[in-house]
Amino acid sequence: MATNNGKAIKKLAVPAGKWLAVLVILLWSLVPIAFMVMSSVKPGQDIFAVPPRLTFTPTLQHYVDLWTRWGSFFHGLLNSFIITAGATLLVVAASTMAGFAYSRIRGPWLERSAMFLIVVRLLPPIVITLPLFGVVNHIGLNDTHLVLILLYATFFVSLGTILMRTFIDQIPYELDEAAMVDGASRFTILWRIIRPLARQGMLAVSVFVIVYAWNEFLFAFIFTSTKAKTAPLVISEMMGSLDGVEWGVLFAASTVQLIPILLFVLLMQKHLVAGLTGGAVKG
Amino acid sequence: MNTATSTLAQAAERPAWRWKKALASRAAAALPMIAPAHALVLTVLVIPAFYVLWLSFYSSTFGKAPSFVGLANYSHVLGDPYFWRALWNTVLIIVVVVHVELLLGLGMALLFTSGVPLKRFLLAATLAPYAVSEVSAAAVWRFLFDPDAGPVTQAALALGLPPLEWSINPAHGLSLIALLSIWLHLPFTFLILYAARLSVPAELYEAAKIDGATAWQSFRRITLPLLMPAILLAALFRYIFVFRIFSEAWLLTGGGPARTTEVVGVYLYLEAFRFNAFGAASATGWVMVLVSLLLGAGYLWALRRQGAGRGH
Repeated sequence: MATNNGKAIKKLAVPAGKWLAVLVILLWSLVPIAFMVMSSVKPGQDIFAVPPRLTFTPTLQHYVDLWTRWGSFFHGLLNSFIITAGATLLVVAASTMAGFAYSRIRGPWLERSAMFLIVVRLLPPIVITLPLFGVVNHIGLNDTHLVLILLYATFFVSLGTILMRTFIDQIPYELDEAAMVDGASRFTILWRIIRPLARQGMLAVSVFVIVYAWNEFLFAFIFTSTKAKTAPLVISEMMGSLDGVEWGVLFAASTVQLIPILLFVLLMQKHLVAGLTGGAVKG
Repeated sequence: MNTATSTLAQAAERPAWRWKKALASRAAAALPMIAPAHALVLTVLVIPAFYVLWLSFYSSTFGKAPSFVGLANYSHVLGDPYFWRALWNTVLIIVVVVHVELLLGLGMALLFTSGVPLKRFLLAATLAPYAVSEVSAAAVWRFLFDPDAGPVTQAALALGLPPLEWSINPAHGLSLIALLSIWLHLPFTFLILYAARLSVPAELYEAAKIDGATAWQSFRRITLPLLMPAILLAALFRYIFVFRIFSEAWLLTGGGPARTTEVVGVYLYLEAFRFNAFGAASATGWVMVLVSLLLGAGYLWALRRQGAGRGH
């Protein structure tokens, strides 16, 4: 009888425990985002209402204020877009080429140079800001899109190369050989055969670079000031006014900055998982 | 004459020679393709890193010619109580953040594989924080935990719990930084562990079940050993990345109050860009590089071991 009861409880308890865990995960992941989005459409006086008001008349006032008073934010969004696109193109191109070479051509020193790409990635970004700050100012690259494109690309070209190598390893070498018999050069093979077949890998690499470049703070903080300022930097400036943070406007900006990249991540979920497993596990 | 040609022919036949020639031609083919990636890494990372090493032996600031000071910058940094405080804070944050992430990530990976309701939606929700920028996340954190009116503060007060006084209490400030860091990076750690768990063949668990193994036994004997390489990799990966933590700390507390919640990254930034002590900042930088390389040696070692385990 007792054991029967125990079993019945166990049967019920497992799903209940699971539901509880699911609920906790949902709250943990989504509550901060929900607060951000909700506060952006709450009338100013309701944002800090105690207890938090779940019913309120939504208003777009903060978005209007953002538009009229923070033109620099929308300029920042444009900058973020240009920089993200540039860095992504550069990383995908450079790492597809290198990944192809590392996949198809073997040799001890090539192995070492691939290892070098990984080891170099251990250098903390903040360390290299010290010398680059002076150099970038000196050659007039300060506050330009180019400097952030180069920095962001550099910090993902190692991971990109390793990922592309793993993906290209899965493309049969016989295809290369057949093309070589027809007299195709390595670059022709890369362009005509590998590029179309390695699209999955290129997408996986892009997801990582795009999320990083769109959200990055440290380099934008140090290397841009007005012209090339990215959206996260403008948001940090809104937050910086310690005594007079306009929470509604701040969250409106955060929401605008978040929505496109959030949709992108959710859309690309499959590629994110594929990227982390080198395409071994289909998400 | 005859002997000469035959020796030449023999030399050409010698495998070592042919091997070297083949290597050279392969190198020539590979070089243009790996050149862009290496050019980026060399100009943006490697050369500046060595320049920092050089700077760390000089006393320099804006608009002044640097003068050689030997190890003075290092002894300055290593004798600075603020540096040690920052280092200690960083170590504390690493220990908490990495291990909590691993524990939660592993738990979630197992939960997901055991079958959960609303799986697709739940996976999407779990990944959502990965898309949020450090800046926006810090803004939300400052709002939620606002010492006067923040919703979390209010909820804690309503439940009779002491609220986090993170703007005045260093321990609370550090906890908040750690919490934010976990929130931002848990999706990544979880994904690595989840992917590893998905690649464990289901037959192993079926076989264990047939042999009468309990859930705990199959976790202990199958899941944990097979996931160990991924756990180790995720751990070392996160050690290295949390060690360079900057944005979360800078945006939440800015190192305050009174420089008590600084991490090494913030310490370096302040030395360089606020106190204009480029020499001291460079020395700090190289301490960071050395610690990172040390952690990285562990990472590569783990990578090798995992590679060996997979049989390549």
